[in-house]
Amino acid sequence: MSGEMANEVKLISGRSHPELSEKVAKRLGIEVARTISLNYSNQETSFTVGESVRDEDVFIIQSTTTGDVNEGLMELLIAISACRTASARRITAVIPNFPYARQDKKDKSRAPISARLVANMLQTAGANHIVTVDLHASQVRSVFAIQGFFSVPVDNLYAEPSFLRYIRENYKPEDCVIVSPDAGGAKRATSIADHLNTGFALIHKERPRPNVVGRMVLVGNVEDKIAILVDDMADTCGTLVKAASVLKENGAKAVLALVTHGILSGKAIENLNGSVLEALICTNTVPLGDKIERCPKIRVIDISPTIAEAIRRTHNGESVSYLFNHAPV
Amino acid sequence: MRGTLIFSGSSCPALTGKVCENLGMTPADAELTQFSNGETSVRILTSVREKDVFVVQSGSPKINDTIMELLIMISACKGGSASKITAVLPYFPYSRQSKKKSHRGAITARMLANLLGVAGVKHIITVDLHASQMQGFFKCPVDNLHAEPLIARWIRQNVPDWKEAVVVSKNAGGTKRVTSLADALKLNFGMVTTDKKRGNGNMTGSMLLNPIDAVLDPIGEQVNEAVEHEEPSVSNITQPIAGTTSLARRPNGSSMHSAKSLPSRLRSSTSALDGVDEEGEDGVEYNDQRAHEVTQARLVQGHIVPDDFESPAVSAATSVAGDDPMTMSHASSFFAPQHHAALGGSGDAAESSDEEEEILKDPKVEHMVTLVGDVKNRTVFIVDDMIDKPGSWIAAAETVVKRGLAKKVYCIATHAVFGADCLEQLQDCDCIDHILVTNSYPIPEEKARNASKLTVLDLSYLLAEAIRRNHYGESISPLFQHIME
Repeated sequence: MSGEMANEVKLISGRSHPELSEKVAKRLGIEVARTISLNYSNQETSFTVGESVRDEDVFIIQSTTTGDVNEGLMELLIAISACRTASARRITAVIPNFPYARQDKKDKSRAPISARLVANMLQTAGANHIVTVDLHASQVRSVFAIQGFFSVPVDNLYAEPSFLRYIRENYKPEDCVIVSPDAGGAKRATSIADHLNTGFALIHKERPRPNVVGRMVLVGNVEDKIAILVDDMADTCGTLVKAASVLKENGAKAVLALVTHGILSGKAIENLNGSVLEALICTNTVPLGDKIERCPKIRVIDISPTIAEAIRRTHNGESVSYLFNHAPV
Repeated sequence: MRGTLIFSGSSCPALTGKVCENLGMTPADAELTQFSNGETSVRILTSVREKDVFVVQSGSPKINDTIMELLIMISACKGGSASKITAVLPYFPYSRQSKKKSHRGAITARMLANLLGVAGVKHIITVDLHASQMQGFFKCPVDNLHAEPLIARWIRQNVPDWKEAVVVSKNAGGTKRVTSLADALKLNFGMVTTDKKRGNGNMTGSMLLNPIDAVLDPIGEQVNEAVEHEEPSVSNITQPIAGTTSLARRPNGSSMHSAKSLPSRLRSSTSALDGVDEEGEDGVEYNDQRAHEVTQARLVQGHIVPDDFESPAVSAATSVAGDDPMTMSHASSFFAPQHHAALGGSGDAAESSDEEEEILKDPKVEHMVTLVGDVKNRTVFIVDDMIDKPGSWIAAAETVVKRGLAKKVYCIATHAVFGADCLEQLQDCDCIDHILVTNSYPIPEEKARNASKLTVLDLSYLLAEAIRRNHYGESISPLFQHIME
């Protein structure tokens, strides 16, 4: 044996999504590191790493809990900081659903670019590397915008290969038509349509304010097809529900929604249950909690194999780009 | 003030309003909301271009939301081309996490300082930082204001016999704060320490073997320097105390030297007293008195019990001794789930008395409380920088009243964090007569109304003056001075 110690993966889980961390750990054949995370009586967060991370390759998995975004973000920052002071060799923040991703531009006077602030905060806390899934890309350039905020490497993983497999396994691609609920998501939708060799349609919507949906117009033909709406996130589901009824009116046989991040805040569950959507298929980047019980329409695609593989490849210095086109089995 | 904007965070609109009133301004317009997914949304509704911007934000029960809101506000003002952004933080969040306490814990206060810098802060105004060394965390200048002059003035004006009062620290860590107030008021000071182990003589035995000087010498430094290291300083202070009781039996000559040195370090706070101390006669008097000054009491379930109280099932000493000391490393004990549950899931066991509280409440564990200093028939000011949990305050108050026979007890702190039902418990405690705090941390109105013992001092003038002086480039130093009538 050489005197050099091989440095290993230490997987640390924040409190927001322990199930995902467990699944990733299982895929990697390791245990989630012991940590203590708690809130003092004044609600300040405290994070202690229970085992040595000195000279180890640390991955901290933290998603965002709907409604408690700041809590999760602060915990992540404190966890990164704790690992940094504990002399970790490298700290990778695995943030499946990047918080504040939508606030990525100064679209009004004095609007804060909170996404950049979060990026800077993560670096300040001591993160050396960021892994995330399907960064919000309503404008295609904003992917690069957020990646551009970091001076540390950012790996943006895609849920698309998992989506493709799901569609191929559950539906006949020739029966389907892929629909983008807005112009910004057209690229994502066409990419899936191209891979499946199916038709493509687009819904144009007017959006007077965030989370408020205006009039919708369908461009393309969905008659007698299974219309699959594709988006990066389902938040209040207002857009998806309205788009679904537009598609139904235009003769779609059934309407499904396929999204990466099931944030499902506000009245999302009520909206979904009362809608013509047959199913909302999302990945488990965001903890869904009891929402699956409350809404029978939600189906979940497990994203942990992709994240686990990205961690493995990052640790071993292998290329991650393979994952952009392939979903690990 | 021309070219100045003061924004209020959502935690403290009332305080900001008062600060602005002092300056003859109105708070600047901003819309602070949350998106439905919980992300914070900030809209700055007035131009900040080339303005001197102040953002006031205190703590709140949703502390992490409060911090994010502050950071985003600062970031938005920076993006809006403000000429300078000052964060006014009457209560600095996470200030208690200012050092690496356990293995691999985070120094969150330092990280927060860095985050503020990244967001775009050029200056910080805060009040009574938990550890003043924290100023070193910032790359930008920090004005750490003191509420002490205000507190001292209130005491002079509202406490009838304040000249006879004694200032008491409720733990060894807070001694420095207490000496400072005692100095300002020219009062004596005392200290209450809580020892997890029962000190039933077994400790005295071993201490007697040590040369007295060696025991006494470090104490002066310990008291002054070990501001935060609760555990070691507690034992270091109790040890010589245990030893001193036996001192009286020693030949007079040898005890004289140590007799003088202990009280002069522990008790005297003014040079005037030191002078008296050096007179031989008083030294002897203190020597006699000293044995009485050290009062010990038993603390069970957070309350003082009579000496004949039936001992609880397990004392803290035996529960600790029951484990193999080698395996009782901090981490292993800390990570044992059952032990963690005993801590009530909140608090780092060795952090400060506030975090020790859960153990204080453990019915199985008995503590030894030691009161140093004479408080008999005197008014007592128990002082610390914040009131978060009630346990240590109640224990200290009961000790000075039931054992020290104090006449009246005032609990005094700058930051009224009042976690959970803290204020109600202090209100219900018979040994506490008055609670004196400032409005650095917002106190819910109905809570304050139901607490007849509570007095809230207004910091807005202090903060307003600091803002004004900062804006005009005047010195802040006069704000640190005591106002004498």
